[in-house]
Amino acid sequence: MTLRAAAGDPRASTGRSGRGEWFAGYAFIAVPMLLFLVLNIGSIVYSAYISVFQWNIRSGATGFLGLKNYQTALGDPTFHRAIQNSIYYAVIWVPLTMAVGLFLAVLVNQRLRGRTFFRAAYYFPAIASSAAVTILWIFLAAPDGFFNAVRAALGLNPLFAFFGYPPNQNWIGDAATALNSVILLNAWTTSGTFMLFYLASLQTISREVYEAAAIDGAGSWQTFWRITFPLLRPGHYFVATVAVIGALQLFDQAAIAGGPNGDPANALMTVVLYLYNQAFTRFDFDYAAAIGLILFAIIMTLTLIQRRVFGSAPTW
Amino acid sequence: MTDRVGSAGDARPVAPSGTASAGGSRGALVQAGPAVTGDVAVLPRARLDEVGTAVRVGDKRAHWRRRAAYAVMITYAVLMFTPFAWSLITSFKTQPDAVQLTFIPQPPTLDAWRYVFQNLDPSIFRLFANSAGIALAVTLTNLVLASIAGYAFARLRFPGRELLFLVVLATLMIPDQLRLVPVYLILNGFGLTRGPGQYLAVVLTMVIMGTNIFLMRQYFLSIPREIEEAARIDGASFFTTFSRVMLPLATPALAAVAILQFQGTWNAFFWPLIFLRDQSYFTVPIALTFFRGQGGFTTNYPPLMAVVVLSTVPVLILYIFFQRYFVEGIAASGVKG
Repeated sequence: MTLRAAAGDPRASTGRSGRGEWFAGYAFIAVPMLLFLVLNIGSIVYSAYISVFQWNIRSGATGFLGLKNYQTALGDPTFHRAIQNSIYYAVIWVPLTMAVGLFLAVLVNQRLRGRTFFRAAYYFPAIASSAAVTILWIFLAAPDGFFNAVRAALGLNPLFAFFGYPPNQNWIGDAATALNSVILLNAWTTSGTFMLFYLASLQTISREVYEAAAIDGAGSWQTFWRITFPLLRPGHYFVATVAVIGALQLFDQAAIAGGPNGDPANALMTVVLYLYNQAFTRFDFDYAAAIGLILFAIIMTLTLIQRRVFGSAPTW
Repeated sequence: MTDRVGSAGDARPVAPSGTASAGGSRGALVQAGPAVTGDVAVLPRARLDEVGTAVRVGDKRAHWRRRAAYAVMITYAVLMFTPFAWSLITSFKTQPDAVQLTFIPQPPTLDAWRYVFQNLDPSIFRLFANSAGIALAVTLTNLVLASIAGYAFARLRFPGRELLFLVVLATLMIPDQLRLVPVYLILNGFGLTRGPGQYLAVVLTMVIMGTNIFLMRQYFLSIPREIEEAARIDGASFFTTFSRVMLPLATPALAAVAILQFQGTWNAFFWPLIFLRDQSYFTVPIALTFFRGQGGFTTNYPPLMAVVVLSTVPVLILYIFFQRYFVEGIAASGVKG
């Protein structure tokens, strides 16, 4: 849309063209684009180059490996674990956070007094740093922490015992619950962001559509599922794409709670954490570069699949 | 890809809705049109004589619906704030009290805060200075670089413009961490992984963000062309037109870029973790995780929570005063760090 608009912009040819404008254009973009290209596209090409060599931080390339790093990744159990964790995280976290975000967006999109306040309140957890919220979360989820104290005070312990959780369950320190705890943490902090995305999308639906539905006697439940939800398809596509890309890049929370090995027992090992681990605890830069490119391939594939599922990114 | 980013900008531009944006949303509705009609037709149609009653019943129902909505919204808001409230309460507690479910500290104490201001190594002031310095530097470079690049992409015609802009959009999809190894090796090659060079390395990793170029371009597109044409006719150079005429008009977009970039960099974890190796160069988020790992600090929650609270204060102030820019900027750029 944007590009087509730019290219086909009728105003783009108001005849002020010429060498002077070319020169000015290149002069304007020279510094920003040089930095941008070197640090982005350049670094990806460099990544591909590094990944096929035996790399040493002091002497650079010391021997050609070809695709050996990629073969190693295929048979590396820790890398498999990292992929599993990242996919599990994406499969649970993306729909959960999208659902909460959409729910909040519909709530604060009503014409109610104080909705600006509620919007601001729901986005609030997203402004704090990942380090601050993760450390806060670890404190709350500790064996003697707030969560366990509250559920004991509410008399919910028998229920938790039924599911096999003792009164002093260490939610982030136990391999069985660590990743789910991080999922909840990030659903808490990110649902407000998704709410804002959905709000923007909700506001593109015209009022007349709802008026027509009301005249036809549609209840609010029906209106939501038959009108709002399907009309939000561009919004769903956008939020889902951003969410999946974000989910597969999970790093900060896993690294802060689980250290470079994603402890306990690799329960918090994610693809990006493994990339970091290989580069900075094992100094295996070429293998780390290969992992980065595999992640890139996975994200590109998933994005293309999403595009298929949601149709050809239709209405934007 | 282009559609994805374009749409977010179109749906809710920070800018006054320009031609491009308006076109985008209208397109959405037109295409959605037939589908809607189809769906509505399926719904049961109220008979004419029932319409009157339906409205009256609806009023009563609407009243209860509103109450229910408020109940849900307030409950959820309380849940959202509880963790932060708990960290604030804990920072006024003694260490044994920190693991009790007491909502009023028993006894309330400023020990944790005293500890944070007097005993941290590196000191809290040093940490804040490091964070502020890096965040301000990154904000400044992004303002300058994104506005000149955004202007060129929006208004100056030169061969390769569309292709280069497509490249900018495409990189928005590339995971940032993919750059870890090459960027580290490049900056290490320049000696920026030692000494004060560490600061510069962190700044360089975020020196120009694609989202900001995109945001600025969209805003410049929305400014009427006639304004700068008048300036050009008066003989102003391209640069004068940009700096004297267009840049002042783009203040709202510049504000959004500045606020969001400052917040993002203040909170940044990944790149500072990679490049800041000496403790004295740590930013607040890196120091937070470092303190947690330190013996004696691990379970000494009150000071840790005091730092958590303190680290959020600058962005909280920004948020309170510039909430509009957060809400509109996030919706427009569609990307958050």
